[in-house]
Amino acid sequence: MGRYILRRSLLGVATLLLVMFVLHLLTTFAIQLNGNPALAFFGDKVPTESQLAAVETRFGLDDPCYDQTGNPCLGPFVERLGQYAQGDFGTNLRGREVTDIVATAAPNTLKLFLVVTIVWFVLGMGLGTAAARRRDRSADHGIRLTSVLIDAFPIFVLLLVYRYVFAVPLNGWAEDTFGAGSLPALWFRPSFDDDHPWATLLVPGILLGLAGSAAFIRLVRASQLESYAGDHVRTARSRGLNERHVVTHHVIRNSAVPVVTAVGLTFTEALAGAVVTEGMMNIYGMGGVLWEAVRAADVALILGIVTILAAVTVVVMLVVDIAYAALDPRIRYA
Amino acid sequence: MIPVTETLIPPADAERSAGDVLLEVEDLAVEFRSDDGAVRAVDGLSYRVEAGRTLALVGESGCGKSVSSLAVMGLLPPTARVVRGTARYRGTDLLALSPTRHRAHCGTHVAMVFQDALAALNPVHTVGYQLTESLRSRTGTSRREARRRAVELLDLVKVPNAAQRVDEYPHQFSGGMRQRVMIASALALDPDVLIADEPTTALDVTVQAQVLRLLAEIQAERQMGLVLITHDLGVVAGVADDVTVMYAGRAVEHAPVRDLYAAPAHPYTRALLRSVPRLDSGAEVAGGRLPVVPGRPPAPGRVPSGCSFHPRCDMAQDLCRTVEPPLDDVAPGRSSACHFAAELLGGARA
Repeated sequence: MGRYILRRSLLGVATLLLVMFVLHLLTTFAIQLNGNPALAFFGDKVPTESQLAAVETRFGLDDPCYDQTGNPCLGPFVERLGQYAQGDFGTNLRGREVTDIVATAAPNTLKLFLVVTIVWFVLGMGLGTAAARRRDRSADHGIRLTSVLIDAFPIFVLLLVYRYVFAVPLNGWAEDTFGAGSLPALWFRPSFDDDHPWATLLVPGILLGLAGSAAFIRLVRASQLESYAGDHVRTARSRGLNERHVVTHHVIRNSAVPVVTAVGLTFTEALAGAVVTEGMMNIYGMGGVLWEAVRAADVALILGIVTILAAVTVVVMLVVDIAYAALDPRIRYA
Repeated sequence: MIPVTETLIPPADAERSAGDVLLEVEDLAVEFRSDDGAVRAVDGLSYRVEAGRTLALVGESGCGKSVSSLAVMGLLPPTARVVRGTARYRGTDLLALSPTRHRAHCGTHVAMVFQDALAALNPVHTVGYQLTESLRSRTGTSRREARRRAVELLDLVKVPNAAQRVDEYPHQFSGGMRQRVMIASALALDPDVLIADEPTTALDVTVQAQVLRLLAEIQAERQMGLVLITHDLGVVAGVADDVTVMYAGRAVEHAPVRDLYAAPAHPYTRALLRSVPRLDSGAEVAGGRLPVVPGRPPAPGRVPSGCSFHPRCDMAQDLCRTVEPPLDDVAPGRSSACHFAAELLGGARA
């Protein structure tokens, strides 16, 4: 088990380095092909030679390799790795530390994630289990139809429809009924409010969770049906165990491995969804910051945040791998 | 909905003494739903299991022997249902009980050993857990006590190093050891009747013999009633007391094992016996080839008219094609569903 974890961890570190390198290559080529991002610092103004040179130095864009199209710029990459290793993620175009930005933005993203994860996990396990248990009956058909219906609406469509069709009338109704500033009024606020993070995150979180649950419901159902068909379930019943015990210990427990895989996949999907959600709902979180950074061509911020998100994903995948081994002894002893 | 509590578990076993009738299956019929309508898998099967005796249910694949025992255990797949008959455990008809109450009899009174232990045991729980989960869930036995009991059960089925192996998983056991675990798990609640469905089919021949001997020993020691389901008449000879031969969902012959081997009273039994390889009679067999039963058993739902065996029978007459022979007594303690049973027995004596 120890060796298994060590092997997986090393693989995770290697993956992270690879992601960072690919990211570096992409931004390098973008700079080489699209021109100097230091110009973005000046907005509409035309800088003098010396001003431009000063800004280039400050953001580490002065290396001549950025002018040579096709040069992978390994020097700046190694330099940046060294800085990251010391906890220095650089500054954004306005001179604010990237770590500082992340420290204020990450808690909101985590709150959003908590809501999202609870929603899709509870919906997925609950509805998936119910559908499997009532296979081919109307409840099963209804749940499957609902999940396909949710799948037909991508997260940005859900959010657009919610924001432009439902949020304003619901907010107006809530303010009239419960008073402005009341909790229900905050729930339906069409944009994020820093003073009430939980209340204003709730609806976007539920919508994102709903979008994530659709495929998860079907996966939970399918993997549980496979367990139901297993001989070991018949054996468990032959021992005279009541059906609830059989379902929890022999059906749900045995379908845990594919479900955990899906947890990893759904997590990364939610990460991508969070970028869109935060951007569209003006949530000040990692995704929202990234969204703004890309629009402002803020290289240091983009690299910093994507690196952190990649690290989080690698850690989640590592946890999933370890969970596999914990859940299925055949993997542990392989 | 009845709450599942200890009160639901039928009271502790009455003493078993040899000859007690423990399980009595009567006129059992099971149907499967299919695209062509209902199909009879078992039709009018009756048998009786006594304490301290072993009954073998013998027949080819698909003759309904497994389905009949699943029906007794209340484990039929959703596409199948019992259409007729009773299965009385010490007088209580299990098939008339609610599913919850029926389930409560499983494990404690009637337990089952399945064929393929690798699939039939849960891969994600330790052997110790699976041996005692019924005990813990139904009697609230403590974790420690359950573990002690699990080691005891493994010792009972002669798994070496029981104290260590109790924490291992099924895939870490060899085929024979796994089948022993399967048997131990069925014995966990000391059932009166054990139904063993092809318990040795997936095993090597040498291991088969060990597992069978073990089953027979445990059965004798505990005065259990054992139902041994098999397609192998060679297996039956060593361990069974009585044999019921099944064909196309029906019992075609029932007899004490010695009588059956000495003089089969049904052409199907005779054909099956001839197809068992024998060392001593090798010379008599023409061309050195083992005789087989010609043809195939009928698909369920396409059972021929009259005697269902007539298309494969070497004694078939016109009568067999039209009139279904009932399972009638032909001698004390034995019965046969053949119009010519008397001739068969007479011919053997002559």
